[in-house]
Amino acid sequence: MKQEIIIAGFGGQGVLSMGKILAYSGLMEGKEVSWMPSYGPEQRGGTANVTVILSDDRISSPVLNEYDIAIILNQPSMDKFESKIKPGGILIYDGYGIHNPVQRTDIEVYRVDAMDAATEMQNEKAFNMLILGGLLKVAPMVKTENVLLGLKKSLPERHHHLIPMNEAAIVKGMEIIRKEK
Amino acid sequence: MAEEVKLMKGNEAIARAAIRCGADGYFGYPITPQSEIMETLMAEKPWETTGMVVLQAESEVAAINMVYGGAGCGKKVMTSSSSPGISLKLEGISYMAGAELPCLIVNVMRGGPGLGTIQPSQADYFQTVKGGGHGDYRLIALAPSSVQEMADFVSLGFDLAFKYNNPAIILADGIVGQMMEKVTLPEQKRRRTEEEIVRECPWAAVGKPKNRKPNVITSLELDPAAMEENNLRFQRKYREIEENEVRYEEFRCDDAEYLVVAFGSSARICQKAVEVAREQGIKLGLLRPITLWPFPKKAIASYIGKVKGILSVELNAGQMVEDIRLAVECQVKVEHFGRLGGIVFTPDEVLQALKEKLF
Repeated sequence: MKQEIIIAGFGGQGVLSMGKILAYSGLMEGKEVSWMPSYGPEQRGGTANVTVILSDDRISSPVLNEYDIAIILNQPSMDKFESKIKPGGILIYDGYGIHNPVQRTDIEVYRVDAMDAATEMQNEKAFNMLILGGLLKVAPMVKTENVLLGLKKSLPERHHHLIPMNEAAIVKGMEIIRKEK
Repeated sequence: MAEEVKLMKGNEAIARAAIRCGADGYFGYPITPQSEIMETLMAEKPWETTGMVVLQAESEVAAINMVYGGAGCGKKVMTSSSSPGISLKLEGISYMAGAELPCLIVNVMRGGPGLGTIQPSQADYFQTVKGGGHGDYRLIALAPSSVQEMADFVSLGFDLAFKYNNPAIILADGIVGQMMEKVTLPEQKRRRTEEEIVRECPWAAVGKPKNRKPNVITSLELDPAAMEENNLRFQRKYREIEENEVRYEEFRCDDAEYLVVAFGSSARICQKAVEVAREQGIKLGLLRPITLWPFPKKAIASYIGKVKGILSVELNAGQMVEDIRLAVECQVKVEHFGRLGGIVFTPDEVLQALKEKLF
């Protein structure tokens, strides 16, 4: 079993750290993992993306031309990655950042209004965990308990008191994700 | 007890492996995409545990000359930088090769020439294996293609450098430096004691006892006859390294009709291209040089008469392709495919290039 995932959005949305938590969760399950960021000037307000691969076997290329799952959090990323989802693959997007409707008809499309939910929770930082919850609902590639272990591993100890809030956001994300097509 | 598997960036793996292998000192100057090496070392504070020195020098030139000084005392010392910074270090590197001093250099390549971009590239192949600095010298060049190899090659690089009294270099790129993968770090080794250095490095400047002549560490020799002797000694050493230290890996080469040759991150991308090619019924294999110098000439030459063509896949405009052509002496068609300036090819692009250039 192998999941090839791209997470793309604006710098500052928590794209890279969401990928990191996913990678750590895979590690907790004994999977092979790779986490390849776009690094550099993109992180300062431009688009940021990260490729995460979770696999039962050794991973060859950390750089991919198509993906099983794309998590897209702004319009420029949609323009760039919509065409690069494998037929039958999954697209998850946040309604707040996307203006143009999804064109593809050969993939499963899910919408998770994480920005609205984060505002409702009065916690902008919950945004990426809401998205992660949505992902785990439609593609349960790692167990939630391992995500929490992954969170613990990837967060410095001084932030460990935030883990219950993150867990609540993951559960909320699982509840609010909706299938569009 | 087995060491815990951890997730980390390639740059971080280099730093942690340096502490673990008992390195005595790191001297560097920050530059993307390798700054996490010094960042990790500074955060780990090894001077409080193993006694390893970590120092941010005022420039790349200062850093390489601190390495020269440390190495002259028989210490296990290293530096790291990225392409433009390595250019600045080349004078010092040539001096160390000329003075026959062991050290470890890390280059996490970015797009060039000049200041270029900060994105991944492999355009410093020529600089690394064909000299770079002045004079007839060679660097033992290791090309890691995974985060695990970033960790493993630190200790291997030091071992080879001390075995042959010659600088060794890890030639990595922004992909393998910035990506995170699983790593098992080596067990913590203690640093060598002064007594061990005196015993194991009789050439080192460690204080002169009465019963021997002073050790002179220099690359300067004004008598050309003596300088030729020095050069002949270097060349004998280089031939010995070529004989003993070639390392490479083959992937699905047994029945291959076509071969891709790629190192570092490119080899990972090519491995995926091989998997896709095999699904399409194309018998493609991958040969990955692990040592870029000494280059696996014989291994590549063994495909003469076996494959219809070889594609050298590099993140540059065609550098290693020259060494492959020399290895097969024009008896196999050899083509190059690359992307430049920090753009990275995808597995599909590699396969497309193979079909266009060799079919």
